[in-house]
Amino acid sequence: MKTSTYLRRYWQLYFLLILPLAYFAIFKYGPMYGVQIAFKDFNFFQGINGSEWIGWDGFREVFQNQDFYRTLRNTLMLNILDLIVSFPAPLILAIMLYEVKALWFKKLSQTILYIPHFISWVIIGGIVYQVFGTQSGFINNLWVSMGFQPIPFLTDPNYWLITYLLTGVWQSAGWGTILYLAALTGINKELYEAAEVDGATRMRRIWHITLPGLRPTIITLLIINLGNMVTIGFERPYVIGNVAVQEYSDVLSTFVYRIGLESGQYTLATVVGLFQAVVGLIFVLGANFAAKKTTGEGIL
Amino acid sequence: MAEAARVNETDRIKVKPNISRGDRIFDIVNMTLIAVSVLICIFPFIHVLSISLSSSRPIMSGEVTLFPKEFTIEAYVKVFSDPSMIRSLGFTVILTAVFTLFCMAMTIAAAYPLSKSNLKGRGFFMVVIIITMFFSGGIIPEYILVRNLHLLDTMWALILPGLISPFYLIIMISFFKGIPDSLEEAAEIDGSSHFRTLLRIILPLSMPVIATLSLFYAVGRWNGFMDTLMYINSPELYPLQLKLYQLIQNNMATELMRNEVAGTANMMPESLKAASVIFATVPILIVYPWLQRYFVSGVMLGAVKG
Amino acid sequence: MNKGVGKMKLVSGKTWFKSWSGMMLATVLAGTTVLAGCSSSSSEAGATTADGKSVLKVEVFDRGNSPAGSTISDNYMTKLVNERFGEPNKIDVQYVPIPRSEELQKLNVLMASGGDVPDIVFTYDQGTFNRYAQQGGLTDLTDLLNQYGPNLKKFLGEDTLSYGQIEGKQFAIPGKRSVLGKYASYIRQDWLDALKMPVPQTTDELYNTLKAFKEKDPGKVGNGLIPFGMTIAPAQYEPLLWSFVQQPLTDEQKYTLTQKLGSSDYPTLLPGFKDGLKFMNKLYNEGLISRDFGLDEDKKQLWQDVQNGKVGFYTEDAGELYFTYNGTYKNLQANVKNAKLTPADVFTNNEGKHAKPEYASNGLYIMIPKSSSKAVEAIKYLDWMASGKNLFDMQNGVEGENYTLKNGVPVAKEDASTEAQNRLYNYGDMAIIANGKVAGTEEQNNDAYIMQVPEEYQADMRKSVEISNTDTIAPVNFNKPIEAEAKYGSALQDKYSQLIVKATMAPTAQFNATYDALLKDYMSSGGQAILDERTKVFQEGGASK
Repeated sequence: MKTSTYLRRYWQLYFLLILPLAYFAIFKYGPMYGVQIAFKDFNFFQGINGSEWIGWDGFREVFQNQDFYRTLRNTLMLNILDLIVSFPAPLILAIMLYEVKALWFKKLSQTILYIPHFISWVIIGGIVYQVFGTQSGFINNLWVSMGFQPIPFLTDPNYWLITYLLTGVWQSAGWGTILYLAALTGINKELYEAAEVDGATRMRRIWHITLPGLRPTIITLLIINLGNMVTIGFERPYVIGNVAVQEYSDVLSTFVYRIGLESGQYTLATVVGLFQAVVGLIFVLGANFAAKKTTGEGIL
Repeated sequence: MAEAARVNETDRIKVKPNISRGDRIFDIVNMTLIAVSVLICIFPFIHVLSISLSSSRPIMSGEVTLFPKEFTIEAYVKVFSDPSMIRSLGFTVILTAVFTLFCMAMTIAAAYPLSKSNLKGRGFFMVVIIITMFFSGGIIPEYILVRNLHLLDTMWALILPGLISPFYLIIMISFFKGIPDSLEEAAEIDGSSHFRTLLRIILPLSMPVIATLSLFYAVGRWNGFMDTLMYINSPELYPLQLKLYQLIQNNMATELMRNEVAGTANMMPESLKAASVIFATVPILIVYPWLQRYFVSGVMLGAVKG
Repeated sequence: MNKGVGKMKLVSGKTWFKSWSGMMLATVLAGTTVLAGCSSSSSEAGATTADGKSVLKVEVFDRGNSPAGSTISDNYMTKLVNERFGEPNKIDVQYVPIPRSEELQKLNVLMASGGDVPDIVFTYDQGTFNRYAQQGGLTDLTDLLNQYGPNLKKFLGEDTLSYGQIEGKQFAIPGKRSVLGKYASYIRQDWLDALKMPVPQTTDELYNTLKAFKEKDPGKVGNGLIPFGMTIAPAQYEPLLWSFVQQPLTDEQKYTLTQKLGSSDYPTLLPGFKDGLKFMNKLYNEGLISRDFGLDEDKKQLWQDVQNGKVGFYTEDAGELYFTYNGTYKNLQANVKNAKLTPADVFTNNEGKHAKPEYASNGLYIMIPKSSSKAVEAIKYLDWMASGKNLFDMQNGVEGENYTLKNGVPVAKEDASTEAQNRLYNYGDMAIIANGKVAGTEEQNNDAYIMQVPEEYQADMRKSVEISNTDTIAPVNFNKPIEAEAKYGSALQDKYSQLIVKATMAPTAQFNATYDALLKDYMSSGGQAILDERTKVFQEGGASK
């Protein structure tokens, strides 16, 4: 097609893109010059442009810090466990909800299941303590009264992982169902009716109709998740973690908080951020490539 | 259209032939599991609610779990009689509504062209956008940008920098892609412009995802306060969550505050904090049940058929 | 431009797109440079008001607790300042709120962005002060203070002022802390009475008492009994650990082996520290201290346990439990009939003294950024605060409405009206030159402090304050900041807590191995760097007191 014909036909699409692209240019790429802090000895009063160039010294310092590797390892470990445990949870829950026939029950449970998403981590931290504490926790009180030894859910690193994962599932599963439920509305109902006539069981129908219907959504979310393998929220590990399990709960975001905010070393914090960005971008592009190869779907 | 769809849904239930034994067991197990999850999820909310309705002594002694002790509504009286809380609620509602509207308009405007796989330059645009998911200039240049645009201490500082979330944009694109091309082609043959196709065909078919992403944007704005801490100085422009955060955070004995003299940290009673949590959470909680009307099945099917 | 478009039409779609996207990228980059360029220009606007008054911008912490009808930048206190200081000096004092919890982040961004920085800023964080001073962002106040701040200088005194000096230059005005004592211990008198035991006076006696609490359970607590309430907050472990430090220390030991992380001195390397941990380990393994103490950072669980009568003994910030906002003692008495907590002084060191740390004599670091053109006005403001009755009125409000005078010491009126109480809701953040109530002499200051708690607890409160001032160990100070401390401080604080928790919770046989491994980690994470730098600075004669 000739460019002129192409433009005449599609100019409206480019017109629609003008404002969004301007937004990305101004608000996202505009401040991007801040990335150079990673290569400068940042001085608060010289500003970003006035600070001195130090080349790769910042990177050298970060890559020589033993805490960096420890927190990177923990970040990866917690994210991979989350991918195994917390990623499928909303999917399963959404399918379960979809199978419920009583509308009132469905709507009520949906509404309640997503409440934990709205409770701030500070409050969740207090509740976790009350439920999982060794000496006065609700579960251990029950457990001990049955004659067993208390379980150190919060102070033993391995038990702590379980607590961390369960809390994550609890906090995000209900919220995560929303997207799947929206996707499920796109599935053609006639498929189910036909399958029923054929005598397919519920499980078979879920396997052959529901799951394939959700495939694009699952793949999109999976790719994004993989892109975030080396980033991790600050609050969850911080609030649920404690001194006794720090060998597991200390992650990149807490590391950045310590060096960046508490010690004022913005150079090092920016270096870590840049490292995370590069790795994240490689992961997301790689995952997208793999998804395209295997399923023909991707986000690009 | 929503009405028609609902009829569809009830039809499906009525049409069900005689329910088999296996089906019934499945239903019972399924609903029981959901009911248990529901109980686990509602527990913290009940807990906070109980604290908001209890007196200080039982709270401080850790006696309040599921039911209020020494019942009092004093905390709510205080919250509702504080004009700054009410004003803040009003501001937050307006802010959230405006933000969501702008975000959705921008996200849709970007998603529609980018959902066309034959659009020239699509790959480049997508990479440009995805890069912003990972790379950012950091807090200092962002602050300088907002200041240079003269947005500091205005509502727009809380709206413009967050207009499009690349993640939500990708979701929107993947939904638009799922709409059968045949529909659009038919419209194009009828001589419909792209704008018209978007408004008349694509958007009505995408109500579930529009509702979902509106909810995501709205909740994100409602719960977000980190940008307010940086960009807002006037108390009139404090959103609810910021006030809530200050209530909770400023009373915690962190290492930084340990040096402050006793009595300086004006401690708020726990029940007042809990009542404020409820006050700031309930308005956004009821948005989802209201949006659920757009989550009806069969919308797309009906359109294809019709 | 036209030419470009025409050219574009000729090339194929793909190439057209490439050149187009290239152009777009160029535009974006150009835009970026423009935006970056803007950033360096800082505005000097708003230096005077319409009526010719000069504007002085002062930081104020916003804790989100402004009472109805007033805001953090417009309230009784801001009016008082503008009336008494602003009017006569033709200065309009404006307050810039900084969220308390995000204070450092916002201050850093304001400083780095070069505009809108208040003329007076402050922080409790010594590391931030040192950083700003070393990066050349603060005004040297040495001469200004001599010229415009005679009252201020007199009020603060040499000792407090020295905390704001770096190699002889006054880069900050430190607030003055009026009450230096930190900790006291509390023990259940009713349990002791039931066991017919005296209040323990030494560490050994305490150990026997704790044993007796555990074995005989005089309070009939049962399962949840905690003979010794412990947390991972300093108030609970510091008195114990510091009492194990081997005295007397030489000056060299004191200066080089102490590690200052954040704003407190840590005894990690001092002789005897390991014995203290070993004692904690023993207490833990014998079931004498709280099992979950490693989780309790904000002392909430401890306070709950004390209130529910489960705790026999604990150490705390002196008198904390008597304050109305805390309510620990009041709630305990409501929950457990006849419960009685007695202030005690138990931990003894090798010299038989009740050694415990005390606060440094400074509070906030008040700074004037170099970019400010109002340094003179700023010093005048602080000097005004230190002169006459101004500080007293800011801290206490109006006589007869907020307080009554008793031997020259203000006693807060318990039946003060809400309006009167609201005047003082943030006095601590406004009266920045003082940390704690200032009534006059040291004795009067202590009295003013004691009289803040309800009358029925004042006798115990007095005893607590006395205990907290007994045999104290003062912090040591160099005349210039130790850079390694600023750099590694916050990471080391975490390592330090980890050391305490892990070493305490280790099985007895593994104590030494655990301790050695954790100390090694501590040293390699910056502990060694601090030790080396302190040794070097000490040898250069940098010990200031």
